[in-house]
Amino acid sequence: MKSLLTNIRRTPYQSAAAFLALFLNLFLAVVILFSSSFIYGLLSYVETRPQVTVYFKTQTVSDDVFKMRDNLINSGKTLSVKYISQQDAYKTYQQLNKDNPLLLEMVSPAIFPASLEINAKKPVYLPQIAEFLKKQSGVDEVVFQKIIIDRLMTLTNLIKKTAIIFGVFLIVTTIIILFTITHFKVALKKEEIELLRLLGASRGYVKKPFLEEGLFFGFVSASVAFLLFLGIIFYINPFLSSYLSGADNLTIGWDFHQLAVWPLNGIFLAIIYGVTVFFGITISTLATLFATQKYIK
Amino acid sequence: MIQFTKVVKRFPLGNVAVTDLSFTIDDNEFVFLVGPSGAGKTTILKLVTKELTPNSGTILVEDLEITAKHFHDLEKLRRKIGVVFQDFKVLPDKNVWENVALSLQIINTPRNLIRSQVNQALDLVNIRTKAQMFPIQLSAGELQRVAIARAICGNRKIILADEPTGNLDPQTTWEIIKIFKKLEGMKTIIIATHNTDIVNSLKKRVLIMKNNRLFKDVHKGGYEL
Repeated sequence: MKSLLTNIRRTPYQSAAAFLALFLNLFLAVVILFSSSFIYGLLSYVETRPQVTVYFKTQTVSDDVFKMRDNLINSGKTLSVKYISQQDAYKTYQQLNKDNPLLLEMVSPAIFPASLEINAKKPVYLPQIAEFLKKQSGVDEVVFQKIIIDRLMTLTNLIKKTAIIFGVFLIVTTIIILFTITHFKVALKKEEIELLRLLGASRGYVKKPFLEEGLFFGFVSASVAFLLFLGIIFYINPFLSSYLSGADNLTIGWDFHQLAVWPLNGIFLAIIYGVTVFFGITISTLATLFATQKYIK
Repeated sequence: MIQFTKVVKRFPLGNVAVTDLSFTIDDNEFVFLVGPSGAGKTTILKLVTKELTPNSGTILVEDLEITAKHFHDLEKLRRKIGVVFQDFKVLPDKNVWENVALSLQIINTPRNLIRSQVNQALDLVNIRTKAQMFPIQLSAGELQRVAIARAICGNRKIILADEPTGNLDPQTTWEIIKIFKKLEGMKTIIIATHNTDIVNSLKKRVLIMKNNRLFKDVHKGGYEL
């Protein structure tokens, strides 16, 4: 550690450049990582709102509706299927118009259609579910927010692609910058390296200080970038809380596991920190490795 | 033992550095390498350390045939050799002790052994009192002592010195030569030099280079061209 700090002190400008380049890129990486996770969580939340609503003709018997509901559940494509009876619909109507007795007098439960509110497991299942329902007898109308769902899916894909492209761009940029800085450092220590090699030092021995520095910068830059991000996120936390007051819980994940991204929690933040440190250490070590491989013979 | 057999070294543009070079230096021998500038003295030293590779011929250093096609023991070879330069090549950001210890650190010597061996080497070259000083605080003679201490550390069997007194005044030159004399019989020493006084007065084996060839190999010889 002492020799590592001495090496850094002896090349202050190159060290500062390496740190700042890594810090800036890692900070952007943390922001991208958090934003992507957050937006994904938000999209998942939106996707869990009722997506297809099917209204049945008033004369359709409830057994037929239940049979249809069971078919949907058994298809494995739905997250939930909620049955709204004529009575339930009437109650909702009453609730909504409780201040208007005139409107209440004019209706009875018989005029309200029973309905099913369906959430699909994936947005791609929605058109299939809608098509299936339209073909069933007793169905009056299928309400399917196709445009909204299509837009959501486009947005999700766009975010995914942008994050990948931007992430690759950040990695390549950082590696090139660190590669160049390490090259400078190797050039500055040319005489020392030649002497060490002449005394019989192995290539690994000569490369070791550069690699240690790379590791150190990767870890420190990632930690500082994460701390800055943490400060910002806690600062804007009250605004986010009021903005997302309706959404109790945002999650991202897979069929086997769901990770809560909102409200902010220790596990999610620890994962973000871990990924940032891994990212920082990997790219700084790779860049240093490429440079020393090329310039230390 | 160092053995050159019909060694030829040409530089990329075609100019010959050494040609048809054959000689053998036994273990613990003290040899001067003399000749005019450009005669090939430094090239011979660089061929021994494998900083240069000959175009033809074979070179044997101790038990290693360093000209073999698939020679992979470069580090093993260089750990047998200590090198002393005219311009000292002492690292400016390390103190005397650290500069000498470098020779042992690179071969992963345990710390307690490093301490004892470095102190021993500093005693031999009589500079232990300045162990904590940095190169900028030392005279040229002292810097060369540090370089010699570094060259002998780590049980190196061969010492190659390229014009080790080239930058020193006559008095310091003799002090440095005395250090090499102390090592005589313990290590193989090859000193490339222009200094006629030293070569003539020590009466050691002299390899005389002329026109990139070994002109004469004189035992107990003097400086002649």
